[in-house]
Amino acid sequence: MTFTSGHVHDAASSGEGFDEGNPGFTVPETAADLLDDNAEDLYDNAPCGYLSTYPDGQIAKVNKTLLGWLGRAREDLVGRLRFADLLTVGGKLYHETHLAPMLAVQGRLDGVALELRTADGGRLPVLVSSTVKYGRGGRPLLIRTTIFDATSRHSYERELLRVQREAEKARAEAEQARALAEVERARLQRVVTTLQRTLLPPTLSAPEGMEVSAYYHVASADQVGGDFYDVFPLSEGRWGFFLGDVCGKGADAAAVTSLVRYTLRAAAVYDPDPVAVLNNLNIVLNHEYNGDDPRFCTVVFGIITPASSGFTLGLAVGGHLDPLLLRADGTADYISTRGGLIVGVFPDPHFATTTVHLAPGDALLLYTDGLVEARVDGADGESDARYGDAALRDHTATLAPTTASDLVEGLTGLLTRFGDGLDDDTALLALSVPTPPERDDQ
Amino acid sequence: MTRTLTITATEVPSGTVLALAGDLHLHTAGQLRDILKKTDLDAGQQLIIDMKALDFCDSSGIAALVAAYRHAQKSRATLALTAPSARLARLLALSGLDRFLALYPTTAEAQAAWTPPSP
Repeated sequence: MTFTSGHVHDAASSGEGFDEGNPGFTVPETAADLLDDNAEDLYDNAPCGYLSTYPDGQIAKVNKTLLGWLGRAREDLVGRLRFADLLTVGGKLYHETHLAPMLAVQGRLDGVALELRTADGGRLPVLVSSTVKYGRGGRPLLIRTTIFDATSRHSYERELLRVQREAEKARAEAEQARALAEVERARLQRVVTTLQRTLLPPTLSAPEGMEVSAYYHVASADQVGGDFYDVFPLSEGRWGFFLGDVCGKGADAAAVTSLVRYTLRAAAVYDPDPVAVLNNLNIVLNHEYNGDDPRFCTVVFGIITPASSGFTLGLAVGGHLDPLLLRADGTADYISTRGGLIVGVFPDPHFATTTVHLAPGDALLLYTDGLVEARVDGADGESDARYGDAALRDHTATLAPTTASDLVEGLTGLLTRFGDGLDDDTALLALSVPTPPERDDQ
Repeated sequence: MTRTLTITATEVPSGTVLALAGDLHLHTAGQLRDILKKTDLDAGQQLIIDMKALDFCDSSGIAALVAAYRHAQKSRATLALTAPSARLARLLALSGLDRFLALYPTTAEAQAAWTPPSP
């Protein structure tokens, strides 16, 4: 068995004597050869730089790894330069003002990031750790420094920084896009609101002695609904009114709604017979939308004429929900108008007609399907339950007798209570004849 | 509610069956109109729209059914609607379309009611 102490002695004789107190390696040669490792070889070819300096900074010993990194020869450094001489100007300053004093006080430094100057003028990012070796009486003998190449770590950090900057940029761009979308959405909503407003009459012109009230619930802020209504004067002693619903939603439906409204008003001037008015509208729509994307509407059209007490309403109905009549005696019933065809799909339609007398204390309600099709919690947990005709009649009966404005107000409250269940546009139009105020002769 | 629409087209001796499943509304009615464009009918044939699995139909859906009626008429074919739900049947009655569109409880009954054109 032989010992590989020769190398150890070489290391000791080369200056520092870091094997002090170490009795030497007692590893069998075969194993040592196999491992190809010993203290001296490890010192010189370690994966990090080793440097020993005297307390005044003079370099006492340096390993091959560090010399290789610096591109310098051992004799250029040992006994000639100080550790600080290997640093960049900034590093040197930092070393003198911070590191050296800290080392003197604490006796060690851990993982300080510095840059070394290489022989070819380059910079090598490194992480430096140092410990002070003390002699008898606590006098510092040597400073032992380990230096790690931080290039890969440096580029990793640079990469990290780049990714972080890109993420921040992406986030800023997303934020900007979101803000832009928000602006676009707000603008769209303004356009929709404006358009919706133009499709509804600014005022309702009811005959004297009749009260009218209307309400329009917009289901979507982004899409124009297709519901419409109006009350307007015709010739002397005659008024027209209508309420209906164009199929579909959005800009296409809005164009149809506009056409329907103006056609109804013009047709009523031309021939105020309610059926003639709907026939005219049917011709216009059927002519305009006769292709593979048919457009139609459901509508109630009426002519109001004054009667000896109250008003007579002549109605024509095309595919629309039955109007609801609330009598002065507190009853509420549908006016049956079944059999009328939706307007615009067939060239020769049939419309339902009826005449209603509206006496003082009576009220007539026209509405679109959003009201009766509102989703409600069904009895016995029935899924997809709708409010329905019967519930509407029963509810309005509790309001009767009433006036147009009270009726609309009461139903607006109902619409609010539907909450999310109200997912379609809903139009309400009520006409009523007020009860004459009771005479108080006393 | 499903909100989507699936259309299955099947050739039968009387013509074509378009089986609708799901919801026929504003955003899906275009699917039916597109299929109609690709559905060629001969004179005297029958176009059946089977609504057995249709959960929902709004006014845009009704408009698409009118488009189907027009499409059949153009080819001098007939349109039959089968198995509408109670709500849809009510909607068709309200619109007055039930007097123009032939309604049958099942596709079998619709096909049985079909008479081949005389040669």
